[in-house]
Amino acid sequence: MSVLRGFLWLLVFLLLGQAAVELFHLPMPSGVIGMLLLTLFFGYRGGMNPDVVHVSQPLIAMLALLIMPGVVEIFFVAGRFADQWIAIVTALIAGTLLSVLSSLLLMRRYLPASDVPGNAGDE
Amino acid sequence: MNEWLERLSQLPQQWFDSPVAAIALTLGAYFLGIRLFKLMHRPTWCPPMLIAALLIAAVIALLPIGIDDYNRGAGWLMLLLGPATVALAVPLYQQLPQIRALWKPIMLTLPLSATLAACYAVIIAAVMGAPPEVLASLAPKSVTSPIALGLAEELGGSRALLMGALLTTGVTAIFGVEWLSRVLRIRDPRLIGLALGINGHALGTVRAFEISSVAGAFASLGMSLTGAFTAIVLPLVWHLFD
Repeated sequence: MSVLRGFLWLLVFLLLGQAAVELFHLPMPSGVIGMLLLTLFFGYRGGMNPDVVHVSQPLIAMLALLIMPGVVEIFFVAGRFADQWIAIVTALIAGTLLSVLSSLLLMRRYLPASDVPGNAGDE
Repeated sequence: MNEWLERLSQLPQQWFDSPVAAIALTLGAYFLGIRLFKLMHRPTWCPPMLIAALLIAAVIALLPIGIDDYNRGAGWLMLLLGPATVALAVPLYQQLPQIRALWKPIMLTLPLSATLAACYAVIIAAVMGAPPEVLASLAPKSVTSPIALGLAEELGGSRALLMGALLTTGVTAIFGVEWLSRVLRIRDPRLIGLALGINGHALGTVRAFEISSVAGAFASLGMSLTGAFTAIVLPLVWHLFD
């Protein structure tokens, strides 16, 4: 039951996010606004609702699965962009590697070093 | 016997009349993708998502159904994308003290990083002679898919090409962050998480959660701020040059 109650919380905040998007003409999806509203709500209450914590773990783990169906379509329309695919692939791969490099350098330059020594490698 | 075979041949079409078959296919491909990924010794250039998407495409191509039949059913599964995005509030709240301590450097570097993420790709594609429709589909490539889809629509891009661009970007960003952070000797999970979220949207964020919860929370922050910033700025800049 806890999971369902948590799910209801998420749906309510998704609807609140949608309300904010519609009322204020925000150029963002309801989910992102709902996420920010829920974070603010937790901050206001001074703690998290355990039901929401319960349901959030499996849902976050599902994010990759949820994007997948949209990706499948590209294999069926790839022909339309056949004459441009070199430009597209180069732009995506080189562009992304460049932007990863610049954001890593920027962040390293401006983010103060962590007090807690890196715990990156706990896989 | 013949009649029976005919009924059998109509089965796939009937299956895909309801969303059940599309959802089962997606879940099945997802788990098979993960299993194949492990069998292939976890290649960074080919995440389970890509394997799974290829499996689904192969099944659709083999069965007498079209991509539209699949999309109609899978749309039901994608309904969960909304609540899943809201659920990111949990890691975000957990890391709030860390984020609050760092808001100044984040606010300083994030807009620039998000701008560069879009600019590099658009400039490279434009130099190589891609038409405006392609450029409009590539510009929101580092933004999480619900925002990116809205943006591509507004700029006049192709939905399918954008989804492909999102996948390529996510895969490249994960590979790039892991490779470049090793080269640059960056081990701070906050920094790695931010880089994954800014450049690799939800795919990078999922990867960051596998690294550690701190990296995951910073990735969700990077992803949402990049999404918000790009959603506001990109249409304005685009129409300036239009």
